[in-house]
Amino acid sequence: MADSHDSPDFIQYLIKLFYMVGGVLVAGTLITVLIDVLIPMPLVFAAIIGLSIALVKSCFVIAIFMHYKWDKKLIMITWTMVLTFFFFAGMMGLIMWAEGDIPKLHRPELPAIWPILASLLGIILPASFTVLTIKLMNQPAVLESAQTPKSKAKRTTRKKKTT
Amino acid sequence: MEIPYTVKPRPDTGLYNAKLGIWLFLASEVMLFGALFSSYVLLRVGAADGTWSMGLMDVIVGAGNTMVLIASSMFVVLAWAQLKQGDLAGYKKWKWATVGCAVLFLMVKWSYEWPSKFKHYDVWFKDTAVLHAHVNEGYGKVAGTEENKAALRDEENKALGLPRLYAEKKIYVGRYFKTDSKKSQSAFTKAWEDGSLALSGHINGYEEAEIKVEIIGWSSDKGVSEADADKALENQGAKSPDDLRKNGGTLLEKTDYDTAKLAEYKLTKAGYSLALSVVGYQYKEAHPYFWRTGRVNEDIGGKPRVLSIDFGLDVNSGDKKEHHPEVKIFTKDIKRLNSYEPKHSTFFGIYYTITGLHAAHVFGGIIVMLYNLLPIGLATWHRDREQFANRIESFGLFWHFVDLVWIFLFPILYIL
Repeated sequence: MADSHDSPDFIQYLIKLFYMVGGVLVAGTLITVLIDVLIPMPLVFAAIIGLSIALVKSCFVIAIFMHYKWDKKLIMITWTMVLTFFFFAGMMGLIMWAEGDIPKLHRPELPAIWPILASLLGIILPASFTVLTIKLMNQPAVLESAQTPKSKAKRTTRKKKTT
Repeated sequence: MEIPYTVKPRPDTGLYNAKLGIWLFLASEVMLFGALFSSYVLLRVGAADGTWSMGLMDVIVGAGNTMVLIASSMFVVLAWAQLKQGDLAGYKKWKWATVGCAVLFLMVKWSYEWPSKFKHYDVWFKDTAVLHAHVNEGYGKVAGTEENKAALRDEENKALGLPRLYAEKKIYVGRYFKTDSKKSQSAFTKAWEDGSLALSGHINGYEEAEIKVEIIGWSSDKGVSEADADKALENQGAKSPDDLRKNGGTLLEKTDYDTAKLAEYKLTKAGYSLALSVVGYQYKEAHPYFWRTGRVNEDIGGKPRVLSIDFGLDVNSGDKKEHHPEVKIFTKDIKRLNSYEPKHSTFFGIYYTITGLHAAHVFGGIIVMLYNLLPIGLATWHRDREQFANRIESFGLFWHFVDLVWIFLFPILYIL
């Protein structure tokens, strides 16, 4: 949580928001169950509807409960999660390659270069991220806020826009 | 060396270090659960018709547990908000509420959902004719409802007969398919004809063997002295051990399986050779857990350990309201008997793996929450309020992640 958001008013506003998000999550669960019980449908549609509602619910949890919305300087978290996704996709690609289920893209045979590139990516991305993290962590911590007035102004305007 | 704790966000990362750490941990958790979710998807997509028993899940209980976890997720963030306002009493109130929700979640899972599956069974038969006879007998008792009679007016259904129709519509389709379709019907017909259809239900009672234990002989090969061998016999209740050791004879006239097996184990170690035989069967009324084929079919002197089972058939794949029709199943007809444990099928394997790992996370969370509620954890609050609030926020991030996992687990396990 950024330090500019510690004011009592903001916390009060947050608490209201938390109750609202709780309501949204409960409503999402109810809708999922009601659709499942009342409307019989094939597996594909049930999967699309169920997982879409779950996705919406998870977005609310991440944005509000986990304060992602207000952690504006979250390059690190975003990096972490985006790179996790790529690494994971690479791993799954390897698994599917091993299973022989890799999408062939309508070509008779996939050139061997692609799986190799995918696995290299899977190694290089997390490695580079680790190096970057260590580099950043080794910088001397500046405890006094180094924020410029300019960035503060920018943040408040953005906050107004989003709320 | 003491590492200084920085409560303020670092300018380079924009986060305080603990938060960055917890996000990295969550990234690794995403990998862990992501791999399991992907396995689930691959298994689900690759499953043959009539093998994925998602209809057995109690959606209402699952939805209730989802609500409990959502509430706990909200409580944990409210606890943090109270801390930010400097209100320790408010923090404690919400944190205890979170612990309560987490405990309730685990109780529903570990004392209701899982155990009720461990005593719910599937039976496969060696002979298709036996399967058909059991379906006709069992479901013949409950098939006479108006709804089923109406279904029987259809000429095609008339040829099938009510019990079979009932088994298909109420049990098979409800358990393995989202909707009744040509696909589900043909899958049922195939399972019906080749005998691969399983009857599901509960064991209400069974006839268990009463065993006679006889001593055949004794030798000193095992290096046990005569006195020790006599003592071993005496421990098993023999009145004249010396005579029994020399001439052989009956040790136990009629005893239960556990006693007989224990005697066999101990006396074999003491150099005796024994013969176990079944002298009769005794009926027991019980709902046993974790039975498998080997448990009931175990060969004791040429006879099975369990002669027959009173099997209360499921009347609806999820529903428990109607009366369960009971059929008597002889264990010699059983090809396979398995409770709904991980070994049962791929579905239950992945189900227990994912929900078990998730439950382990909830359990770990409870321990951390209790630590942060007890004086030992609260000491941090009295030393550095900012640090304690950050600690609670970091824990909150973990807890929301656990909630997130369940948000996805609920639809895929209970609905798909």
